Amino acid sequence: MLDALKDVIRKSSIHVCLINTGGCNGCDIEVVALLSPRYDLEQYGIYVHNNPREADVILVAGAVTEQWREKLQRIYAKVPEPKIVVAIGNCPLSGDVFNQEGSSVYAPVSDYIPVDAEVSGCPPRPSEILAAILSIGPNAIAARGRQKL
Amino acid sequence: MILPIGPIHPSLKEPLRLKLKTQGEKVLSAEIDYGYVHRGIERIMKGKTWQKGIYLSERVCGICSYIHTQTFAETFESIAGERAPLRAQYLRVLTNELDRIQSHLLANSTYFKAIEHETLFMYMLYLREPVMDAIELLTGNRVNMGWNVVGGVRMDVKQTHMDSIMKIMLKLESEFERYVEMFEKGPLVGLRSHDVGKMTRDEAIKARAVGPIGRASGLEHDLRENHHTYKDHLDLKVIWRKEGDNFARNMNRFDEITQSINLIKQVIEDLPEGDIRKKIDIPAGYGDWRNEAPRGEVTYTVETNGNLIKNISIRTPSIMNIDACAKYMFNDVATVSDAVATYASVDPCIACTERVVIVDESGKTREFDYPNYPKI
Repeated sequence: MLDALKDVIRKSSIHVCLINTGGCNGCDIEVVALLSPRYDLEQYGIYVHNNPREADVILVAGAVTEQWREKLQRIYAKVPEPKIVVAIGNCPLSGDVFNQEGSSVYAPVSDYIPVDAEVSGCPPRPSEILAAILSIGPNAIAARGRQKL
Repeated sequence: MILPIGPIHPSLKEPLRLKLKTQGEKVLSAEIDYGYVHRGIERIMKGKTWQKGIYLSERVCGICSYIHTQTFAETFESIAGERAPLRAQYLRVLTNELDRIQSHLLANSTYFKAIEHETLFMYMLYLREPVMDAIELLTGNRVNMGWNVVGGVRMDVKQTHMDSIMKIMLKLESEFERYVEMFEKGPLVGLRSHDVGKMTRDEAIKARAVGPIGRASGLEHDLRENHHTYKDHLDLKVIWRKEGDNFARNMNRFDEITQSINLIKQVIEDLPEGDIRKKIDIPAGYGDWRNEAPRGEVTYTVETNGNLIKNISIRTPSIMNIDACAKYMFNDVATVSDAVATYASVDPCIACTERVVIVDESGKTREFDYPNYPKI
């Protein structure tokens, strides 16, 4: 009974934290575009707060730079359970154009924290980011919430 | 007391650390830590051809990605002593102004979010989406457009595209004034914006503020005035204001959007026929080029051996503006939330700023030693 109630609440209120670990911020502005009336993220119960301590979904955009190698894990530890990670864009998957000889990026992001969904594109369209969050977000969060209990 | 904000914080879009020195609620001074998004773009570009370099230069910054490729291409054209065909120059102006409109709308929406005026924040994003549609229609992508090449632009446009863009611009123009009036005459917004984060003209010169931030403090300086396409073919007047506070910076951006709409109309009306691209043989040499990005002046300095890039230096506007904000605007801010609003009003773009040059005290420049990167 309590689990079923928690499932409903977890599915209908998803808080998102965006972490740019060293990209060109093209993906960041596509996430901001998601807030616009055209895409209207909040009608699905998804809120972009950028606060790791109350987040359910972490969006990682960017190849991992030197400063982020330790800090990313520290921020991930601060996010309360249940949590999922969605990697946006080519940078967290492979480093994109930055992953060349002489650069200071350490992609992929899955070396540092577990990644649940990946959206490729440079940058992906807002609708693709939204589809990725919706396809994995609510069900995975509810399922993981039960596991921990 | 030192109040640290960031690198991940509800009020920041990009990673940066603000250390505010506060007394009670009052902010006395601020210190800014960079380095979270340093990717080493200049170093990767060295020893590559321009075809690979232009791809990287687009990813210096996502919001003003267009102007970086244009400046990169025009640097190489200036080394060769040639110019792109006139039709290509006009198309560059068209894309540049579309990019400026979306960037300014995004910057103002971020400011309205920072002063907790959610309504105007939503209206700005509502206005921005059709402009993104226009960019997508013209270039095929919303953010990283890949529109420029050395010697011209990549694709030609059709008349139907031009008609659609014109329609989008007319609609934007008709709706735009209502929202500007909400900001200009709204009593609540005025209270949060007037006389907050002031920077005088002298301080702006000392801090080397550029773009709308400098122009809002009375610096009558816009590099588009000196650009050959704007100077010879288009009608442009520099927009500037005297107040130097948060209100002036946002109003300056609003006024520039109106001007950009006018420029786009001029371009669509007198778009000349002809080639969009020509072959340019690049000799060995050294050149630099400056352009007006949405945030101010962007400079590319390139040394090439005719085929490969031997040396490149990119100077973006955000670094000067953020420093101006930290040094001069945070001195008399009454509350921490005003400080965050002031920071949002300078339109900071962190991805732009992250470049490293170490200067020895002897004046010798040396490169950053990556394997022995100091732990911060």
